[in-house]
Amino acid sequence: MAWAILIAAVLVTVFPFYWMLRTALTPSADLFSDAGSLWPRHPTLINFERVLGMTSPEEARAAGGSGAQINFLWYTLNSVIYSGVIAIVQTFFCAMAGYAFARLRFPGRDLIFGVLVAALMVPPIFTLLPNFALVKNLGLMNTFAGLVAPSVLMTPFAVFFLRQFFLSIPKEVEEAAVLDGVNRWGAFWRIIVPMSRGPLITIGLTTTVWAWKDFLWPLLVGRAEDTRVLTVALGVFLQQSPNTQPDWTGLMAGSTLSVLPVLILLIFLGKRLVQSLNFTGIK
Amino acid sequence: MRHSAQVAAATLVAVALVGTMASCSGKNSDSASDGKVTVNYWLWDDNQTASYQECADAFHTANPNITVKITQTAWAQYWQNLTTQLASGDAPDVWTDHVSYYPQLVSNNQILDIQPYVERDKVDLAQYQSGLADLFVKDGKRYGLPKDWDTMALVYNTDLLSKQGVDTAALSDLTWNPKDGGTLEQVIAKATVDKNGHNGLDPAFDKNNVKVFGFLPEWADGSQGQNGWGDFAVSDGFTFLDKNPWGSHYNYDDPKLADTIDWYKQLIAKGYTPKFDKQSTLGRDAVMDAGQGAITITGSWTINSYLSATAKQKYAFAPLPTGPAGRKTAINGLSDAIFAGTKHKEQAWQWVKFLGSSACQDLVAKNAVVFPAIKEASAKSLAAHQAKGQDVHVFTDEAAAPDGTFFLPVTDHGNEISQAVQDAVQSAILGQSDAASALKKANDTVNAMFK
Repeated sequence: MAWAILIAAVLVTVFPFYWMLRTALTPSADLFSDAGSLWPRHPTLINFERVLGMTSPEEARAAGGSGAQINFLWYTLNSVIYSGVIAIVQTFFCAMAGYAFARLRFPGRDLIFGVLVAALMVPPIFTLLPNFALVKNLGLMNTFAGLVAPSVLMTPFAVFFLRQFFLSIPKEVEEAAVLDGVNRWGAFWRIIVPMSRGPLITIGLTTTVWAWKDFLWPLLVGRAEDTRVLTVALGVFLQQSPNTQPDWTGLMAGSTLSVLPVLILLIFLGKRLVQSLNFTGIK
Repeated sequence: MRHSAQVAAATLVAVALVGTMASCSGKNSDSASDGKVTVNYWLWDDNQTASYQECADAFHTANPNITVKITQTAWAQYWQNLTTQLASGDAPDVWTDHVSYYPQLVSNNQILDIQPYVERDKVDLAQYQSGLADLFVKDGKRYGLPKDWDTMALVYNTDLLSKQGVDTAALSDLTWNPKDGGTLEQVIAKATVDKNGHNGLDPAFDKNNVKVFGFLPEWADGSQGQNGWGDFAVSDGFTFLDKNPWGSHYNYDDPKLADTIDWYKQLIAKGYTPKFDKQSTLGRDAVMDAGQGAITITGSWTINSYLSATAKQKYAFAPLPTGPAGRKTAINGLSDAIFAGTKHKEQAWQWVKFLGSSACQDLVAKNAVVFPAIKEASAKSLAAHQAKGQDVHVFTDEAAAPDGTFFLPVTDHGNEISQAVQDAVQSAILGQSDAASALKKANDTVNAMFK
């Protein structure tokens, strides 16, 4: 019974992905004539070729797509920079903040932490406009600095998550280290961080995935060619002119390819992540 | 192992931060010290990019100091992107403009008044399709030069109609009225086929299992109904506005409009057109391509997708039907607008003037994609279409017919009006309220905006 539920849940989760892949492999011409079939009748890689820029606009149109062109690898690189910087820098700073809240005593600590947790309640859409105005006034439009500005230093969730984890690490481990003559920084950097590899990777991964699929902010701030990320770039396959259909097959091929890097990351790190979350400190 | 991982991570951060700093210099319009200028130009239609790139190349040859950089942005995102870029001060120098959207930009002082330039360079405004140039004038200020025009027509699947024994020659003389739908409704009924092969005129017709719909309506059609209800209502004697452009009183409460919407509702009830919720997400061209629709209304900008060598069905065009007040089609034209805040006003104007001249419009005509605004170029475009074996004369005939065209309404508050009226029409189609009262309510809302 449990297995049945699990399998059903997996199917529900995976089916949209499958459908995306199936649409990507379908020639444009067949898209609506056999919309119900589970497998494309004439599977083709033409849509992927179009996305990767291996066809001319004329060939793309002949394949039933839009003549829109997309410099896929360039935008992928932008996405890697965007999510990479956010994930690494944010995880680092949030770990320090989380450690401070968990272990250090300073006046107003709990108040500050309360404010921080309260910030979790603010919907991101609220801060969108002020952030936009700020980035514009700082002259950071269409730069990576402006792109990563709102989230590169910390997010309340990551600080909260890591603090909870550090709290669960026994104090004795650190006390032993202090007796051995290690200072605060050393205790954090050489004891806590290695012990918390699991949660740190978890936060890093979720942040990466979140930044990778982020759309609205990059659309507002990073539309220029040299800072455009993949999610924004895929917009070229949308409706080209009034009363025409979007280039579904191109869009799905592009989306499939854009999911791959994150998927690979998860496949490689997912296992370690589960294992390391089980281990906490004293054996 | 762990140590090297840390080094790698630190290096990555450093590299990334350096990359961040290094890319801080991506600014839009840039003028080098040697007087060379890049003008950024935006358009949305991927079918037209090639034509305008040819214009840009020709322009650059004539003006070696000005390079035009074209950015194509899909229609679905075009206006969002433009307004965002305007807000962030990174707008393109010149962009393709649309009558429904430009009043808003004018009231925000974002478009340059080119009247002084037009007078200085003596641009001949009489060369354009009549009325097009005036669409972009407000209070004596001019906000663009016409680049092209489009009219509406019926597009039909030739095989499906001949299979049902419809005489396609007679399609050029169809009539329409909101009471019984005229001969148009007869053809629609005949073209509708259920899964047993009975057509819509057959008493055995099963309206719950339709295989081919005779007619596909467009419901996401704003406040103008350019792709259907607007053209029909006007051919019944409806007028949108007290005066166009820049009127301030709409007539959406006119019973003639409600009659038109009710006629659509009974088409759905008879099973000749898909239910609103069954059709709303797919483009009509997709349904036509799948062979599940026989007739729809389309604009001349879609000619190449319907008549291309790779089209999935055989299509042909027929003029819109003649209503009680005659045959009426919406005619609309695009223009090119200059950003009021551009650093290169003179260069941008040179480019816009070039776009509005026969030098560019003849190039566009030769590619047979859209009909250019200059009359001679339109004729050349028609010839280019004929040379490709595409019969598209219905669009130019309609444009040339005396009193056969009407301009889409141009007023302030376009966005809000579009939303209010589209919602009213959709609620009527869904049967949530009757057309007359929904439209009356929307009309009150709309006219209150001008108080």
